[in-house]
Amino acid sequence: MKLALRELWRRPSRFVTATVILSLIATLLMFLGSLLDGLINASTGAIRALPGDVIVYSSTSQASFARSRIEPAQRSAILEVSGVEQTGGIGLAQLGARIPGNDVRDLAGVAVFGVEIAPRGVDALPAYGEAYADEILQADGVEVGMEILLGPARSPITIIGFVADTNFSGQAGLWTTAETWRAVLSANRPDAQVAEGVFQSLLVRITPGTDPVAVAQAIDNATGGATLSLSISDAIDAIPGVTEQQATFNQIIGVTVVIAVVVIALFFALLTVERTGLYGVLAALGARARTLFAGVILQALIVTFIACAVSATLLVIADLAVPPGSIPLDVTPTRLIFSTLLLLIAAVLGCAFSLRRILRIDPASAIGSAS
Amino acid sequence: MFLALKEMRRAKVRFGLLIAAIGLLVFLILFQQSLQNGLLTSFVGGIRNQSAPVLVYSVDGQRFIQGSVIRPDLEQLVRSSDRVDAVGRIGQGTFTASGTEGTTDLSLFGYETEGLGSPREILNGRMPLGPGEGVISDVDTATGFAIGSTVTLLPGGTQILIVGSARDVQINAGPTLFVYYSTYLSAVAERNPDAGAPLPNVLAVQPAAGVTDAEAATAINALSTDLDALTRSAAADLTPGVAEVRQSFQIIFGLYAIVVPCVTGLFFLIVTFQKSRALTLLRALGATPRRLVSSLLLQATVIIAAGYLIGTALYTPISQQQLGGIALRFETRAVIGWALTLMVLGLGSALIAARRVLAIDPADATTSGAGL
Repeated sequence: MKLALRELWRRPSRFVTATVILSLIATLLMFLGSLLDGLINASTGAIRALPGDVIVYSSTSQASFARSRIEPAQRSAILEVSGVEQTGGIGLAQLGARIPGNDVRDLAGVAVFGVEIAPRGVDALPAYGEAYADEILQADGVEVGMEILLGPARSPITIIGFVADTNFSGQAGLWTTAETWRAVLSANRPDAQVAEGVFQSLLVRITPGTDPVAVAQAIDNATGGATLSLSISDAIDAIPGVTEQQATFNQIIGVTVVIAVVVIALFFALLTVERTGLYGVLAALGARARTLFAGVILQALIVTFIACAVSATLLVIADLAVPPGSIPLDVTPTRLIFSTLLLLIAAVLGCAFSLRRILRIDPASAIGSAS
Repeated sequence: MFLALKEMRRAKVRFGLLIAAIGLLVFLILFQQSLQNGLLTSFVGGIRNQSAPVLVYSVDGQRFIQGSVIRPDLEQLVRSSDRVDAVGRIGQGTFTASGTEGTTDLSLFGYETEGLGSPREILNGRMPLGPGEGVISDVDTATGFAIGSTVTLLPGGTQILIVGSARDVQINAGPTLFVYYSTYLSAVAERNPDAGAPLPNVLAVQPAAGVTDAEAATAINALSTDLDALTRSAAADLTPGVAEVRQSFQIIFGLYAIVVPCVTGLFFLIVTFQKSRALTLLRALGATPRRLVSSLLLQATVIIAAGYLIGTALYTPISQQQLGGIALRFETRAVIGWALTLMVLGLGSALIAARRVLAIDPADATTSGAGL
């Protein structure tokens, strides 16, 4: 062990190539993971901000707000279901927002949510014509008290405060009352407007201690199958693209880890071949194969850890440098630690390929050949 | 040279493993190349392969057809332009459809005039002759949208008979049905009883004689800051998400482009170390450095070529498949391009081992140390 550490200390140049390649791979791994987290958060923040347990869509909507429609009669039936404590209407309009001072063609994408129950981070619903905006809009120059214009009809909305992590499908969340949403929708998307009392979906709060999945099933039974009720986590998974994004990125991350295993395996196999003679001498002096292999693993772990530390630092710097609203990068300690652990496991696996070669070392070969 | 090939024949496992590793990497590269192209085609194939040379969005739409709404005053402006020959309305929406294999998302692409938003080419069947008929994206004919079948839109129950299929006309990575604008309007009205008259999402424009597509787009954009006219290919390329998908895959391909030479280079370094004594002896017996390096490069060439052939052989049957709603294709250009790239990079990395071979001192053969 000491020998392995001493070699790292005295001959750092020997490990530079591996450290550089691993830093590159670690940076990719952490970047991809942070990008995935950023994309998912940008798509699902609004649903996570809803202070309820179940979201009710119409059964033919495929869990899409735009295609869903809940009639007042259905809402009454839902309120009668055992375990349902409160319901709140939800409506969504995805539009472009004109921000004072910005170029006339430079619009910000916003998801206007009309709600009856205030989202997390908001104490009380705003007045008609007012809204709380997701803080990401600050990057576009939006300020408290500013009036922005929504959609082709230029519907005015005054921003009265900011909330965090409430975006939907990559668009900045804008939280307003049902009445304001209804007016904005009618003015800008007449094909999607709905009558008074009709909502696109409902947020349901259930009695504490009740199972959300069971209540969701009971709601769908109560409406005769006219609704599709999902727990918040299921509703997040049902957002178009979320599951696909996660699957694609995780596949890429998996391939990257495999590549790290290959690079580590090749590098330490090369080092082992280089040091075969030396290992022969050490074996002749009584060093066990286990000790020699442990030294290789220790070196691989240290090299990998240094590479991960370099990459994590680069990622944190990149996160600070990237302006909000550009690349959806979400660098979290959890992601950095998880990526580091993955690569440390890859390092051990990669070293395992050198084990056979170390076990085959014959101490007798030291006599005359490793002088 | 014969020694190089003989060595490969005798160390089949060692060289075979490297060939297999390269083959696997090549397969992954080519498969992901097809996946990228298939994914992009399923996102924007319907835009790229519709017949209007120029599409006019509203700036509010941010180049997303469904998000764009053309106000009547803007439509009038476009129609009044002397750079424009013909204008047609396009409406697009995502509906829930009930086909022969259950309910699914379906993009409805409504065009007003054939030649202005209709599919450019029909693969099978025919174009719609009137309301209630549609042309489906070809990859979806096998998944419940066969020619001759009827699609029912939910809720509302609008029925559309599929009369033809067109190649690569999907939008939003799902089944896409091209119908007359009136069919689209009926579908919207039947889905939402509260709906007002829908405005067109996009205008399809045929430039006037002697006006290029780009000139027409520029002229339309000059009419109002609320208009965003794009040529057909620009509209496809600038659709939100397309650039991000391309960027993501570029990162992956870049990574592979680094890994293949890394694997090849490290392998030959290991092999060169292992046979250092034999190489020193060969040098002492009169083998020129050039001959030894040529042998090394020959081995690298054979390994990369064999790996590439295996990777391509694995890729060929996969490239004929369909991945969900995404049709994969055999990408000939990618196969040739990657073959050249990987050969150059692989041989380049093998040169590191060649440098070590060139450093061999034949005099070492007279001593016990023949390390490199």
